[in-house]
Amino acid sequence: MSNVLPPEPMDNESIAKRLLDEARARAKAGNLPRKRLVWLELTGCSGNIISLMNGFHPDLEYAITEMVDLVYSNSLMAAEGEAAIERLMATLDEEFILAVEGAVALRDEGRYTVIGRYRGEPLTALKAAQLLGEKATHVIAVGACAVDGGPSAAHPNLAQCVGLSDVVKRPLIKLPGCPCHPDWFLGTLAHLLMYGEPKLDDLRRPLLFYSTLIHDRCPRRPFFDQGIFAETLEDPTCLFKLGCRGPVTRVDCPTRLWNGHINWPIGASTCIGCSQFGFPDRMAPFVSFDATREVT
Amino acid sequence: MTELERLRRQIQSVMGELRYLTRLLSVVRDPPTKQLALQQLQSQIGYLTFLIGLLGERATLAESAGRSGQAQGQGRAGAMAAPPAVQRLPSEAEPSAPPTPPTRTFTPAELATFTGRNGKPAYVAVGGTVYDVTNNRAWSLATHFGLQAGRDLTAEFASCHGAQQWILGTLRPVGRLA
Repeated sequence: MSNVLPPEPMDNESIAKRLLDEARARAKAGNLPRKRLVWLELTGCSGNIISLMNGFHPDLEYAITEMVDLVYSNSLMAAEGEAAIERLMATLDEEFILAVEGAVALRDEGRYTVIGRYRGEPLTALKAAQLLGEKATHVIAVGACAVDGGPSAAHPNLAQCVGLSDVVKRPLIKLPGCPCHPDWFLGTLAHLLMYGEPKLDDLRRPLLFYSTLIHDRCPRRPFFDQGIFAETLEDPTCLFKLGCRGPVTRVDCPTRLWNGHINWPIGASTCIGCSQFGFPDRMAPFVSFDATREVT
Repeated sequence: MTELERLRRQIQSVMGELRYLTRLLSVVRDPPTKQLALQQLQSQIGYLTFLIGLLGERATLAESAGRSGQAQGQGRAGAMAAPPAVQRLPSEAEPSAPPTPPTRTFTPAELATFTGRNGKPAYVAVGGTVYDVTNNRAWSLATHFGLQAGRDLTAEFASCHGAQQWILGTLRPVGRLA
């Protein structure tokens, strides 16, 4: 009888860890062909690339030296001005993966977001998204703004910002979150490089990260079940009555944690549902004392 | 609500007794002790049935007392002297007992006061029925994806959850929309 190995843990954290370990091993062995990555920052706050820099095992340095060849990034590249945009345009003739953060402003033919000048003409976010979106091998929408407009498209949305899928008409991988956790992006990238597109749910989010509700993994859940609700943000009990959106948000924050895997919003305040579609308008109000106020 | 508390404690102690008796039955060997334990088990189950019936009556009473005081509710509670050996739930013996939810009619203006704020519960109306979503996990702060409680949300429900009518079955109805 052949050796029967113990079953591997199948929770998302373990799967993600095995994924990243394999990526590291393959990169070391030289089996990981370094694909090109273009990171576009459109109408947003650049929060996602800043979040990416907070990555920890793997970190950004590992990602751009071992996993991918980052050919264009507004914030990180050394080239400036025309030279930078020329590099971006040259990538159109090569194979690359496109990661986009930020929404696309539509008003006035996209002139509300200009990401550079190309041969004397302003290069709008709209144009860049369309040009690069159709040529890339894979397109990843990173962050709430790129996925469905997010804060950029919040009321009254004067620049008529929309999510990337309204402009790039092809299947995208969507990674909502405000910002997107570095692990979510790097894990998706690792999967993409080694095995192709990860398994996605109906909203095109990788099931690896966006499957369980925060509510179902929340350490304060026993308080919810017993009906013990907090009245101020200092109470350690369930924050449901103060406006916590944990029950409607599907993401792995309770177990993955943020800032190098040490803390997360519900440790101190409510969840504002930043990785659920409709953020922020449909997740408002974030914290309110209306439901816990004593009636006089 | 001390009455309710007392009932709950009674039920808990009966459950404790039942657990003890079943454990006893599993170890005891001689027939007379077994018989005794079985008889005790039967009587405890009967008592539990009676208590559960009483609990159901209390819950209905609490709701009806809060709105239009129904005199018959009080009368029924007084007639609740069923012996412990009865196998059927006391409410089954009376056809007028309400297993259906209480039906209070809300006008849209009345419904609009139940916003979930300032101590009021949160109610929403879908398809003519008014539901209580105060402690529903998807309705934190009486809002759900930008929708406010205290309104008729039939159209919004149909556009988003049209294929998931079972969701309505998980909600607690409190009346009908006029």
